Amino acid sequence: MIRNINIFLLCTSVAMLAGVYGLKFSIEGTASERTAIAAHISEQEGELSLLKADWAVLNQPGHIDPIITRHADVLAIGPVQQEQFGSFAALPMRPAAPDTAAMDALFAAIAEGIDPIDAILQAEGIE
Amino acid sequence: MAVIGDRFVPTIALEGTRKQRGNLTQARIRWMILAVVMGLGLVSGRLVQLGMIETDTTIEGQARDVITATRPPIMDRNGLEMAVDIRVPSLFAEPRRIIDVEEAVVALRSVLPDLDETWLRNRLTGDQGFVWVKRELTPAIQDAIMRLGIPGIDFITESKRFYPGMNEAAHILGSTNVDNQGIAGIERHMDSESIALLQELGLARGNALTPVELSVDMRVQHVMHQEVLDAMTRYQAIAAAGVMMDINTGEIIALASVPDFNPNEPASALVKDTFNRITSGIFEPGSIFKTVTLAGSLDAGAVRITDEFDARYGVRFGRYTIGDFHGKNRILTLPEVYKYSSNIGTIRIMQAMGKDNFREFLSRMKFDQRVDFELPEMRVPTVPNTLSEVGAATASFGHGLSVSPLHMLTAYAAFVNGGNYISPTLYKRSIAEAEPLYERVISEETSAYMRYLMRLNAISTGGSGSQMNRAAQGYRVGGKTGTAEKVVDGRYSSNKVTNFFASAFPLDNPRYAMVIMVDEPKAENPQSGTTAGWNAGTMTGRIVQRVAPMLGVAPDFTEMLDQQIVPPEVRRIFPEGY
Repeated sequence: MIRNINIFLLCTSVAMLAGVYGLKFSIEGTASERTAIAAHISEQEGELSLLKADWAVLNQPGHIDPIITRHADVLAIGPVQQEQFGSFAALPMRPAAPDTAAMDALFAAIAEGIDPIDAILQAEGIE
Repeated sequence: MAVIGDRFVPTIALEGTRKQRGNLTQARIRWMILAVVMGLGLVSGRLVQLGMIETDTTIEGQARDVITATRPPIMDRNGLEMAVDIRVPSLFAEPRRIIDVEEAVVALRSVLPDLDETWLRNRLTGDQGFVWVKRELTPAIQDAIMRLGIPGIDFITESKRFYPGMNEAAHILGSTNVDNQGIAGIERHMDSESIALLQELGLARGNALTPVELSVDMRVQHVMHQEVLDAMTRYQAIAAAGVMMDINTGEIIALASVPDFNPNEPASALVKDTFNRITSGIFEPGSIFKTVTLAGSLDAGAVRITDEFDARYGVRFGRYTIGDFHGKNRILTLPEVYKYSSNIGTIRIMQAMGKDNFREFLSRMKFDQRVDFELPEMRVPTVPNTLSEVGAATASFGHGLSVSPLHMLTAYAAFVNGGNYISPTLYKRSIAEAEPLYERVISEETSAYMRYLMRLNAISTGGSGSQMNRAAQGYRVGGKTGTAEKVVDGRYSSNKVTNFFASAFPLDNPRYAMVIMVDEPKAENPQSGTTAGWNAGTMTGRIVQRVAPMLGVAPDFTEMLDQQIVPPEVRRIFPEGY
């Protein structure tokens, strides 16, 4: 009886030992994997910090301004002048009601084959 | 068996077999217990030994965390990076693990030839665990040294501060040293606030730090820096500076001073004359100070805006007579005193108020103390504690006292924003946050007068600000010129001057105040002059023309806008307003 129990316990402990041993090795593997990933992340963070710094340099007004000045002639651009600003007050108001009579006359004319735009285009020498 | 059995007397068994066996078992158990106790003792002994070991985690006396500590990125008000951390490799050696010092020295110097040979040899000899060889290298040099394969030489990644704007915001940002600690500017201020504590606790690591948002607008800062730099060549000045502030919140939008330095090379800040002229330079402000005298006297009720002052003759103090530069030699109204920048008129306005009240007003405007501001580079202004008759007279037009341009800026901001003094700041602040900090220094009514006077100076014929207004048409700028003669060998020199232009825009609903300074300018061309209108004035105009659209100020040529800021009383003397 006792002997059987002993054999059983021995087998169990051998199995457990093998299990723990295997677990230890797999954990070691995972840990080294983790270390490698952490190193990789910190390396990439370093690269990212450099890229971010690059991006910040390229975005600086002090960096963009000379480029614009260099290409100002080719692109025909310059600093904005006061006269280029408009205001909402300067926009013409919408007519109180659509001019239906004029629209009807226009559609009637087009239906008859007379296009008022054609006349303007011909007068301008386009076409 | 029988023979042997016969020869010996049978053993007298004193104890029974059972007892004998029991004794043997007990002895074995004792041995086992002893073995177990010894084993456990060994284990615990080792534990104690391990516990006693102090692992040296410091790097030349500094904690490893401090070396790799990061600083939060600094952003401008629109989220553009002004300072970022980059990771750079730093080279260190473990002398106790170096086998052949000579070989290592030769190999290292093949990649880093600027290292001193004897210094390096001494550095690598010995049995220390850690010595720096060279900090903050480039990845290319790191690769080259790795390829040498010297034992006992390795790299550690450090955080290094990088300023993508280079010189542009140098005086705002300041600089950091090789250990990533702030040594000047806002960097130093940040350290004294909270970052130092965070780094000490080891929390300031990684990229998790919240960015610090400044009130500065890099676009405006760029324009300001470019213009002050341009003034150095255009007017052959020895220095130039400019600062702009949001008058309602006290936020500094731009601050530039040249000559400056590159914060990426902290050593360049040690060059002479690179100090921040806006905060740590104190100057005699000259005629821009007349605005202060007029505001004080109008606010005290000593003079009214329609009063007239006799500017026909100079004011005599004993042997001295103070006269006007390009004097009109007639009786001037108060707006004319301002417009023609009459010293005589200003002295009379100050005298109407009384010199003690005038001195008290200077204290109210905080001219006799440092401006409450984040930058550590500050100088105490020199304003006499008591003013003599002559002292008060010269002080009324900005001579005999020295204040920083930042003092003038905060004073002008208070004059146009409705009379509330607000300390400037480099951090973002909303109007709601700023309002509890307001200190009333002049009344709403006086503030309205000052806005009118400043605008009058810009658009009226003969006004000293008309040069400025030429470029900035439509942006409703107004301001005051100041040409302060410098003291050379104990007397005021007329060809060495410091020029100022203090302004605010748009004056129908003011939002920004600005002070521009040009030190010792020369005439741009033979047709122009050296007074402030020609240099500081035109610079102000050019800056406003460029930055107003960025700040959301649209040009408006409607005459009504200028007319509506004319105080009704003024209509009695100038019916047309200007």
